[in-house]
Amino acid sequence: MHENLIEKSVAGWKEIEYEVIRDGAGNCITVCNMENFDPVGVHTGDSIVVAPTQTLRDGEAYMLRHAALNIISALGIEGGCNVQFALDPNSMKYYVIEVNPRVSRSSALASKATGYPIAKVTTRIALGYTLDEIANGVTGCTCACAEPTVDYIVLKFPRWPFDKFVYADKHIGTKMKATGEIMAISTNFESALLKAVRSLETGMDSLAVPALEALSDEALEKQLHEINTERAFVVAECLRRGMDIAHVFDVTRIDVWFLKKIQNIVEMEQALRLLGSADKLDRAMLLDAKKMGMCDRAIARFVCSDEMTIRAMRREMNILPAFRKVDTCGGEFEAVSPYFYSVYGGATEAFPSGHKTVVVLGSGPIRIGQGIEFDYCSVHCVWALKRAGFDTVIINNNPETVSTDFDTADRLYFEPLTPEDVWNILEIEQPVGVVCQFGGQTAIKLAKAVRQGGYAILGTDLSDIDAAEDRELFNQLLASLGIPQPKGTTVFTADEAAAAAKALGYPVLVRPSYVLGGQGMEIAYDEKHIREYMDIINLNVQEHPILVDKYLLGREIEVDAICDGENVLIPGIMEHIERAGIHSGDSISVYPPQHLAPRIQRMVTDYTVSIARSLHVKGLVNIQFIEYAGDLYIIEVNPRSSRTVPYISKVTGIPIVELGVRASLGEKVPAMGFGTGLYPPAPTVAVKMPVFSFEKLNEVEVALGPEMKSTGEALGLAETAEEAYLKGFASTKMAIPRPEEGGVLFAIADHDKREALGLAETFASLGFDIYATTGTAHMFNHNYVGAQPVPRPGEDTDALAKLFDSGKIRLIITTPTHGRDPLRAGFRLRRMAVEYGIACITSIDTAKLLMKCVKMGSKDVPPLGLHDLVL
Amino acid sequence: MPKKEWIRKVLVIGSGPIVIGQAAEFDYAGTQACRVLKEEGLEVVLVNSNPATIMTDTNIADKVYLEPLTVESIERIIARERPDSLLAGLGGQTGLNMAMELDERGILEKYNVQLLGTKIDAIRRAEDREDFKNMMLAIGEPCIDSVRRTRSSCARSARTACAPPACTKT
Repeated sequence: MHENLIEKSVAGWKEIEYEVIRDGAGNCITVCNMENFDPVGVHTGDSIVVAPTQTLRDGEAYMLRHAALNIISALGIEGGCNVQFALDPNSMKYYVIEVNPRVSRSSALASKATGYPIAKVTTRIALGYTLDEIANGVTGCTCACAEPTVDYIVLKFPRWPFDKFVYADKHIGTKMKATGEIMAISTNFESALLKAVRSLETGMDSLAVPALEALSDEALEKQLHEINTERAFVVAECLRRGMDIAHVFDVTRIDVWFLKKIQNIVEMEQALRLLGSADKLDRAMLLDAKKMGMCDRAIARFVCSDEMTIRAMRREMNILPAFRKVDTCGGEFEAVSPYFYSVYGGATEAFPSGHKTVVVLGSGPIRIGQGIEFDYCSVHCVWALKRAGFDTVIINNNPETVSTDFDTADRLYFEPLTPEDVWNILEIEQPVGVVCQFGGQTAIKLAKAVRQGGYAILGTDLSDIDAAEDRELFNQLLASLGIPQPKGTTVFTADEAAAAAKALGYPVLVRPSYVLGGQGMEIAYDEKHIREYMDIINLNVQEHPILVDKYLLGREIEVDAICDGENVLIPGIMEHIERAGIHSGDSISVYPPQHLAPRIQRMVTDYTVSIARSLHVKGLVNIQFIEYAGDLYIIEVNPRSSRTVPYISKVTGIPIVELGVRASLGEKVPAMGFGTGLYPPAPTVAVKMPVFSFEKLNEVEVALGPEMKSTGEALGLAETAEEAYLKGFASTKMAIPRPEEGGVLFAIADHDKREALGLAETFASLGFDIYATTGTAHMFNHNYVGAQPVPRPGEDTDALAKLFDSGKIRLIITTPTHGRDPLRAGFRLRRMAVEYGIACITSIDTAKLLMKCVKMGSKDVPPLGLHDLVL
Repeated sequence: MPKKEWIRKVLVIGSGPIVIGQAAEFDYAGTQACRVLKEEGLEVVLVNSNPATIMTDTNIADKVYLEPLTVESIERIIARERPDSLLAGLGGQTGLNMAMELDERGILEKYNVQLLGTKIDAIRRAEDREDFKNMMLAIGEPCIDSVRRTRSSCARSARTACAPPACTKT
């Protein structure tokens, strides 16, 4: 694998970025500069970044600004451009690291940080305008040639997927690993950092991490030398133990200015801890802690109290947040579309509008399982509310998105999505309702806090949300409706689990009951496997039971529905290509269904209607089913918008989010113009394909399973299913293999060998050379399908590497045995495939679909626009 | 009405599926771009294979193609829609690579499509390692070779393999 190496000479230098913009006439300005917390060597996408720069001397800033403008002019860029520098902290020496001649992730951040819309201005420049001819949308009166003024500090923190990929390599370097990011705004670095930590939604609300606190001094010192995703927390723990700042700097090369700020936070923590109880906490100290960005919950933990006590104390002492404006001009002009951030101390600049206001909770950082789909839903929700005559407010912290564009909602709050931060805003805004169903799990999780604060939820009621999310209540509901679900039980010990599995019959699905989104799920095929799983899971004391469910090897079906509490509209039924056991977000999804009997479709409709009604859904609901042996079972109900809503909206022409919002507001579904029940299917076929980023994530299992792994999705839209599959594969960069490009290698788990045999036979008949790992080859050859045996990794890794290097293998079809042990041969084989850039399919069903496309051969499928759809 | 009065119909290339290194920021940028183009009274044709985006809404662009971001597929759209210009600088590295490849293969010339914004040779100067180095040398800006990625070689292999290679740094 090729990875760029940072030349030793600049390792440890400061990494500084400039966002510059130039028009066709040669006018150019800098929009802002940014400084990476991590020195050169960590990808800027994986680094904490602050804007504006904090540690540059005047001369340095002037020099780099001059260089950036020099470079953009010499290159002849017309539009936004990002220039990255390495700056020697000890001399005026610098190097240009990289130039992006286009808008980028950094420019999105710079736009949100300053209020200067780089993409908009870039587009106008492309149309021939010069900077002095372009107006600033935030102030409405200044022009794009005015460099924005930043009288606050912005901090970006990356969001990594390692809560999902616990065994993955968490080191960070020149290869980016973060799936998303959050932005925090404040008036000091300390509070920006702590807001950022809360915004990440990784369960942390301070710099104190119990796992790091438990380390020995030696182990901690070792951690400090590692460059990984925990870095800021490791630094904090080192300082907490009294390690010398100079030493921390020597090891990490993180600027002393940043280290001192972290020390300030740590010292405040220690001071609070020393108090020992909340009674001793006086106003001055609490105010200082709040100014530093500490949340009530963390303060409560440090003084051995609870969040609500601290909250009550704080309010009694009149320590309340003020909301400040981002207006691009440092208050010089009146901003017409400002956005807000909270600070403690100072006067508030946000006031309720006096109109009927609705607050929409956003979805936070992009992560696996909660992607851009939820931003789509939040934005559409805001638009629908605006059309319905409401003033709209959005709370979100993701700088990459449309929802945090200053002109999406009437007012935008760039804040963490935690109960405390949300309450603060609701107190200012006094909304008539809060929408929790479009911001994914982030928003729905806040429903309880919203009600607790005394605010109304617009849409499905809290008790009904609970009825869908709480396993016991949900089981009761389904039982009362007579709707079947896979049999299951809850257990604590390995013995109980083994007994339960035996009673249910293998395979079974085992998972902890307290997490959502497939985290920690596994399919167990035998007792050894289930005991292994229970041993791993019981390494930590389990407060909640483990769920053991019969795993039905059936066809997965999914619907999104709109309900007004009584009437239900189902825009369409989606069918998954891969059978149950692969997370719905990782399955290929087809609309309309291609293999479902009308009887099953009717059952899907009936079950959906009765569940939506019983849950009194007002808005959207997402339901997942399994068809198994002619029967239909429910596996999941989400009382909120789902990741399939955008694509189904587009291909059916039904504005699902808008209808959901209108239903939440009390409008009846039959009056909306799309009827009720199942909407007639479109004549076109849409295939949603998952897209993965395995090449960025070392040591992550490539094989699909019950835990979601894809980072994105692409669509194939065509008049026939086959053409849609072809387009879908093309959109995911999976070109259809041809025999002259190389052979197919099979490495198949025992329980899939029989099915794989048929596939191998077909691929062979199409002219592909067949290769197979030892066991699989034996089985194939025994059944008269000629396969060249290939060693497995571990048996003869070099020979395998040589084979991959030779280009003889075009496609690998490999299904996993069980377990997540990175030493397993199958695991290594799949990782090797990723590293050699060889297409790798890990489900027999996906392979069958690809084979269909191979049979069709290359075919020119005409483009089909959304405007072409006959809806 | 744009300053360049000949512009009537613009093809915008989006950034495709979300992968690590290329996420929602291009939906934000692309949506802004499409809105500006519409504000200027232009007809907007959009191609982006990512259905989860705001920019692929039918109210953001006039014609929305949820089609593969490959040269073949985009050429078919160009042939059908005959845009007079192309905006590619807002679709991330994917958009930029597509623009360069469409140009290299003579497709922009064949259909008389003008690239808006930064010119092709300027993009190439910034993207090509040697050209960039020489340019920096000429203006006296120090740059380090080993830190910069070799983007053009990455871009090429990305088109042939199922997965972009590890070194693509965006």
